[in-house]
Amino acid sequence: MADPAEFKAKQEDTKPIKLGTQEGRKWPIKEGFTPEVLQKMEELLPSKLNRIVATSLAGCIHCGMCSEACHYTQSIPEDKKLLPAYKADRFRKWYKYRYDWMAKVFPSFVGAQPLTKELAEEMYDKLWGGCTMCRRCTFNCPMGVDYGMLVRAARGIMCEAGRIPQHLQDTIDTHYNAGNNMAVPHDEFVETIEWIEEELQDEDGCENYTIPLDKRGAKYFLTLNPREPKYYPLTIQATAKVLNAAGVDFTISSRYWDLTNYAMFNGIDKDAKLFASWIFDEMKRLDCEYLLSGECGHGYRGLRWELPNWLGGVPFKITSVMELFARLIQEGRIKLDKSAWDGDVFTYHDSCNIARSGGVWEEPRTVITAAVNDFREMEHNRENSFCCGGGGGALAMPEFSPRRIAAGKIKADEIRATGATVVLQSCHNCTDQLKEICEHYKIHAKVMNLAELLSEAIVIA
Amino acid sequence: MENTVSHALYILQEPVQYVCLLFMASLYAMKIYQLMKKPGPPEKAELKGDRYAGAVHSLANVLRPWGMESTRNHMYFYTEFVIFHIAVALTIGSTFLIPLTPWLMTPLVSKVIMVFMGLAFLIGLRRIYRRFTVPEIRIISSPDDYFAITLMTVFFGVGFVTMYLWIQGRPETGWMWIFFLMTTFFLLYVPFSKISHYVLYPFGRVMYGQIFGGRGVLNRNVRGN
Ligand code: SF4
Ligand code: SF4
Repeated sequence: MADPAEFKAKQEDTKPIKLGTQEGRKWPIKEGFTPEVLQKMEELLPSKLNRIVATSLAGCIHCGMCSEACHYTQSIPEDKKLLPAYKADRFRKWYKYRYDWMAKVFPSFVGAQPLTKELAEEMYDKLWGGCTMCRRCTFNCPMGVDYGMLVRAARGIMCEAGRIPQHLQDTIDTHYNAGNNMAVPHDEFVETIEWIEEELQDEDGCENYTIPLDKRGAKYFLTLNPREPKYYPLTIQATAKVLNAAGVDFTISSRYWDLTNYAMFNGIDKDAKLFASWIFDEMKRLDCEYLLSGECGHGYRGLRWELPNWLGGVPFKITSVMELFARLIQEGRIKLDKSAWDGDVFTYHDSCNIARSGGVWEEPRTVITAAVNDFREMEHNRENSFCCGGGGGALAMPEFSPRRIAAGKIKADEIRATGATVVLQSCHNCTDQLKEICEHYKIHAKVMNLAELLSEAIVIA
Repeated sequence: MENTVSHALYILQEPVQYVCLLFMASLYAMKIYQLMKKPGPPEKAELKGDRYAGAVHSLANVLRPWGMESTRNHMYFYTEFVIFHIAVALTIGSTFLIPLTPWLMTPLVSKVIMVFMGLAFLIGLRRIYRRFTVPEIRIISSPDDYFAITLMTVFFGVGFVTMYLWIQGRPETGWMWIFFLMTTFFLLYVPFSKISHYVLYPFGRVMYGQIFGGRGVLNRNVRGN
């Protein structure tokens, strides 16, 4: 063996694969807000108050300008308690009780309240089940109150004290224990990718296309949402087809390939950092130039904007397939036949984490307008887009599903108004929510991601 | 206009105000210190935009009503907001100008201030009514919210009459006493009330601007990668 580094890497590859932390962790979820849970929350509060959270808690002037910004209030106007400021006040009242000067003498004068079981229960209901952390209200708040940060802090406190929706925490525990949030075993994942590769090679003109696993030194390390190998393998096939057609040098890790990070939703930084560090280690092992996020809203934000902060910076570049696809089109590296989609009408839903919190909204439009003839914008689009209702981990909280579907009405109305037969998006949580609301509100439209759109229209040389 | 007032009113208008102003400034300094002691979230990601430009853009948000849907769709509300806050600035300004540079308080200047005070008084009344009657506003309102807007509205009403009498050449009236007693009360009370939101305002806006400016969401001049 000539190259010691290569030898070491080979050795690492042949070590038994230990995904996750192998501890079989089960988060200790408590049944209710007992005095012990409340006491724990009291202890945790100071640790969650960074400058933005503290300013957001202290800075609300109760002007109500956020009232029309939220998809909950727009879709369920009869429930005034879904107003952003009301929801945040469930947390703010307690914060004021602890920290507001006036509250030390006249708590009720400033609306402060001690943390009681009743207040904590309302906080649980509103901040787990009544806010998707989409930040649309933040963009409409004159004071810049950051609901994403504020709600995440409140959730982190509740979660650490043991109060979190069971299924959401199970998703995070699964990620922790198995290395991906759907516990896809290593062998099964490898077999799935190999099978998808065969399927891809069966397509006309794609005989030489590959999905390289663990290819060291590839330019792009493509990460996936576990729903793809589990339920939507065709989206991996579609992505791989586009990348191959454009001659992109990419690879997928057989070990840590899950780009999701549901710890963004439960507010536990330690877990968020751990999941991010696995991807970071894979980037180092595979020695790629770019970390490439697949089509996943929170996953994209987690990798692109949060991972470097959790890990104190990274020595590689981070991008997404949405941006890469747009660049490939602009550089003329893929040819598209728009007529492949003739007869369909398209609209695009901007995932909150990709657009409003991620700054990516023109790239998807570059992709779409290159691939279809009939594209129509929804009334609110780009950074002004309404959340579909599936963000913030909402799909992993079945106890709040009726409210989640009800809150999707404004999005459903906007989709209907476009007359679209296909709703495009770049996020798996959005996919599931959009499918559910289209069915519930009787909109006859398919839901599809950008890779699927391109894969159909691409002209194979 | 000469400021020929009794020694007692002079004491209220000057030394008392300075002491109270110092008190207010100290409390604000403490507030800011407490806030700055907290960790600011880091930004280690490769930026797509400009954090500094984002912060400036965000701070100037108040001058761009078209920038936010909530103001774009409610221009009347925004106009009220602008008039109200100009009146606040002018009223605070007049509490300095009256004792320190009364010659600057010409009838024209005084009339302009008076008009803003009058308008702000009417706007205040409408805001009180709104807080009581609009269900979504009522459920988020605390006594502090009602008290703050009522106090401001009364202050503008008193200021309006005071200014009118000032223009008539009457610098020392019962109204002037009430006006300065209220000013004194404000200086002592505001750090404890929601009215102190203006101290937090630049922090909230700058942090928002830095995050979303850096991500290329605000004032887009996006670098690709
Ligand atoms: S717009 Fe901002 S300041 Fe006004 S009520 Fe909503 S969160 Fe509070
Ligand atoms: S962050 Fe989104 S869901 Fe939460 S209150 Fe604001 S607008 Fe509503």
